[in-house]
Amino acid sequence: MLHVKNLIKTYNGINVINIPELIIPQGECFGLVGNNGAGKTTLFRLMLDLIEPSIGQVFIDGQCVTRNDKWKSITGSFLDEGFLIEFLTPEEYFSFVAKLHKKSKDELSAFLNQMKDFFNGEILETKKLLRDFSKGNQKKIGIAAALLGNPRLLILDEPFTGLDPSSQIRLKRFLVDFQSQLQTTILVSSHYLSHVTEVCQRIVVLEKGEMVKDLKTNEDTLRELKAYFEI
Amino acid sequence: MLVLNLITQQWKKNIRGEGFYKSLVVDALLVLLAICIAVVFLFVGYSLEDLLTKLSAQYTPMQQFNGAMIYSVFFGITFRFFMQHLSTINLTPYLILPIKRSFVIHFILIKPVFNPLNYFLFFLVMPFTYNYVLPTFGMAVSVRFVLSLVFLTWFNSFFTSFLKRIFTVGFFSILILSAFLVSIIYLEYIHYYSFFHLSVKLFSFLIFKPFALLLQFGLVCIAFGLNKLFFARNYYPERFKERKVDNRMLFADLGFLNRFGVVGAIMSVNIRMLFRHKRTLSVMYISAFFLLYGIAFYSNDLFKDSVGLLYLVAMCNTGMLMFMFGQWFLSWDGSHFDNLMTQNISIRSYINANYMLIFLFNIVCFVITSPYFFFGIKIFYLHMSAFVFNIGVNAYLILYISTFKTRPIKLLNTSASNYQGSSYKHLKIILPILLLPVGIVYLISTFANMWISLWVLTFIGLVGIMLREQIITLCVNQFNKRKFVIASGFREGE
Repeated sequence: MLHVKNLIKTYNGINVINIPELIIPQGECFGLVGNNGAGKTTLFRLMLDLIEPSIGQVFIDGQCVTRNDKWKSITGSFLDEGFLIEFLTPEEYFSFVAKLHKKSKDELSAFLNQMKDFFNGEILETKKLLRDFSKGNQKKIGIAAALLGNPRLLILDEPFTGLDPSSQIRLKRFLVDFQSQLQTTILVSSHYLSHVTEVCQRIVVLEKGEMVKDLKTNEDTLRELKAYFEI
Repeated sequence: MLVLNLITQQWKKNIRGEGFYKSLVVDALLVLLAICIAVVFLFVGYSLEDLLTKLSAQYTPMQQFNGAMIYSVFFGITFRFFMQHLSTINLTPYLILPIKRSFVIHFILIKPVFNPLNYFLFFLVMPFTYNYVLPTFGMAVSVRFVLSLVFLTWFNSFFTSFLKRIFTVGFFSILILSAFLVSIIYLEYIHYYSFFHLSVKLFSFLIFKPFALLLQFGLVCIAFGLNKLFFARNYYPERFKERKVDNRMLFADLGFLNRFGVVGAIMSVNIRMLFRHKRTLSVMYISAFFLLYGIAFYSNDLFKDSVGLLYLVAMCNTGMLMFMFGQWFLSWDGSHFDNLMTQNISIRSYINANYMLIFLFNIVCFVITSPYFFFGIKIFYLHMSAFVFNIGVNAYLILYISTFKTRPIKLLNTSASNYQGSSYKHLKIILPILLLPVGIVYLISTFANMWISLWVLTFIGLVGIMLREQIITLCVNQFNKRKFVIASGFREGE
């Protein structure tokens, strides 16, 4: 589904990303962990064609992502608040995204109904513009918009950061459901090692742009990760 | 329709933007002005034929109009370079949505074509066409005439957009464009090379030969294509950031100020702030420009004896930076005001640091305007007196009044006519500050001679300087009284 080949990104002569090969099959839930500056967000941006790779390519469903628009209809993503059209209300934003994904109004309302618990009554029918919401609520809106198009590939950068505890648990449940029912490929990066081990079947540790560990999740993974980061 | 979505989104962005309602009044006045100009254009267009026949016997009205066309290209592009709003869109949110990037780019590029301001010239052209071109040359030529002007407008618009995207509108671009225009006019004036003549031939060719319009349309397409090329080359948003001028590392080393303790530390922060923001730099450039006005006043014999007016000029000259930055004094710390208040800085040191900054401003202005002394020793005494008065009285006034600010100044907003954070109240305050000493000077000089009035004001200034500690205490108390109101105002403004 997602194939990274010889990907290298250089800033000021330093390799911030150096991944020779990474293949993520359809339906896998993939977790990315690493300390600050390891390159998690940079990797996601490279995958979404938001920055240009110095060397190498990323393929989504066989298509190269650079200068291509077709993979956007099967991908949903949310990296940071810059991804939101800040001067719209949530309803306007959702209906715009729904239109782009060719969803009807009924499908949109059904979807928003599903999300009601996640939103906790703070997002819909508030007449607020997206830029006036708290960071946590903006994140919820972004995640919902990413899920809206029933994507086959979902990329979320640190989705648990900034969410209140109940929302974190709800989000975990959502992700597990999405992956098991719809066979969505999910890429998640997080600092919460416990959440990542619960949700993801495969965890990769990034250190200074390189993959240093590639683990299949089991009961020992959490302990292994904690041991790694204790240095 | 997706286009409709984009249009409504841009509309919403404008309406829901900051300061939209404040600019509505100005916009309404501008609309009125536009209507007036349109009416004038209609009249001129109607009678253009007669005007042009009377103007020159050598060329027919049509030829004269064509001759002026190339100047409309030159001036049009220059005028648009400064005044035309560059249509931009925040691409990032659209990049991950299943919308074609080319669609969004085309939208941005074609949007200006629909701006009615572009077609103002046609208020003049249409009556002219109807009155003169149609009866004289017939329908086909008239259609070609109007079409060629439409294409000309489009070409100007696209080409200017392209230039604006490549070159930022800065000091040098203004200089270069002005030099270019002046040289063209000069060449025409001394009849060295007549663009007029060239233009007559060129535009007659375009209008009278049928296929020439295709050529012109081709030019429009090329200009459009240049814009597209720009976006194709700068495909990734990170490229835009690379192009920004990097004056961020200016003044990284101001170690010598550390000797002056807390006040020195705050001063070094303030100096870096002044030089690392486009907005503050542009205020400094404007101040430098205003300082040149002294030439008009000091050299003019008309004003030689009106001491009051000369004193006003002297005060402005030695205090220009102080007055220009006057209302910014607390507000420029607005975004980190909370942080400042919780640091280990006493309010007294903070206000002292501000006072030192004003002192520095005044010294700089005094030194820069010292060439004016060539106009006479009288100017020197005026400046000295005004300098002392500025430091001893006006500086405190500005510090005191700065505590009444409640809106932060966002230094990162760099649009050219950005009035964010300013208000007319500022003027209401500055005027009495300026006029009161002028009034005193005038009063005293009518009863006694000029020197006594100067000495009176200098004396007042010296008193102010000597009583610095006490007056600063006054300012500190005032600040403490207003601290919470100021802080919450700055917090809301973010």
